Amino acid sequence: MSAYTVTLPSLGDDDDAVNGGEVSALLAPLGVELAEGDDLLELTTDKAAFVVPVPRAGTVSSWQVAEGDTVNVGQALCLMEVSE
Amino acid sequence: MPAAAPRFPDWIRRPWPSGKSFEEVKQLLAGLDLSSVCQSAHCPNQSECWGRGTATFMVMGNVCTRHCTYCSVHSGRPDSLDADEPAKVAEAVRRLNLAHVVLTSVTRDDLPDGGANHIAAVVQAIRAVRPDSTIELLVQDFCGEDDALRTVVGSAPEIFSHNIETVRRLHGSMRDRRFTYDGALGVLRRAAEWRGDFGFVKSAFMLGCGEKDEDIDATLRDLRESGCHAVSIGQYLQPTPKHRAVQRFVPPEEFDAVEKRAYEMGFLFAVAGPFVRSSYKSETLLAAPGAAARLTGTSS
Repeated sequence: MSAYTVTLPSLGDDDDAVNGGEVSALLAPLGVELAEGDDLLELTTDKAAFVVPVPRAGTVSSWQVAEGDTVNVGQALCLMEVSE
Repeated sequence: MPAAAPRFPDWIRRPWPSGKSFEEVKQLLAGLDLSSVCQSAHCPNQSECWGRGTATFMVMGNVCTRHCTYCSVHSGRPDSLDADEPAKVAEAVRRLNLAHVVLTSVTRDDLPDGGANHIAAVVQAIRAVRPDSTIELLVQDFCGEDDALRTVVGSAPEIFSHNIETVRRLHGSMRDRRFTYDGALGVLRRAAEWRGDFGFVKSAFMLGCGEKDEDIDATLRDLRESGCHAVSIGQYLQPTPKHRAVQRFVPPEEFDAVEKRAYEMGFLFAVAGPFVRSSYKSETLLAAPGAAARLTGTSS
């Protein structure tokens, strides 16, 4: 197992692309085995609510953000323990 | 302390874009310096569409000469046209192996022809590399100029689209004053007349802006009487706090009812739903019952 930092993926290089939002819910429980694509957290932008998926199978060991935080693309969301 | 009420109803929820196909589309567009309306419009379907390996190309730059109160595309003075853009879009279509291509553009009142010849050149370049791909062309009104409209209609996209965007009563408060409701109907009417039996004429509008049922039905009737074969109807979502506010999140079952009424009025294809956008799953129209005859121009 190794530590893996999950960051908010960019939506594109276009200056107009959405570049972040507000964390509205932390959906993944800590320490529980998760599959790639499971719900990690919910983010609210001006236009809609978005569910950020778990990028790799593993467990969330700690959150780097809290509900109500504003996050930008590239920012760390949580630390995961993942298989090598 | 009780949790704050969610800002959006539970049906206004989408996946955040990510994954291998999404990254491939993102890299390709950036590498070719192409714009997509998916990014400029902050489209909530970006994950789904890019994840399927498709995107809606926005040609002629990402600065529009008009200003509509709901639209997040920048208004201002656009750059000059990129003469290589037709080749770049064609290259993107080839690399993405797109069987169906959706092209749209900003409005370019600064150009003598509104960019009609450039758009036709993009269509031609795509045909040269992928003659079997079908194309939807979603265009502006070209100030109602016949010559420009004939150029884009004459480029023979399988789907010619011009969006009316909202009902008659709200049109003046939502759109740039140079767009008019009757002007949009005129574009659609001429396109339908000039196309004859070939292809489709399509329009789209948004709900949640303050319209009433009778406004919606009147707009559906107007579009049908203008010769539209297809219509798509979605929820207006405010792109930033500076834009027009959403008046109401329309529940999915109300969209279903509107879609049903559109079919009852005689549309060949109608799709309505919270996340329906003008180009969302555009290709499904081509598989609608009765569509095949219109693709070969043998429908009558």
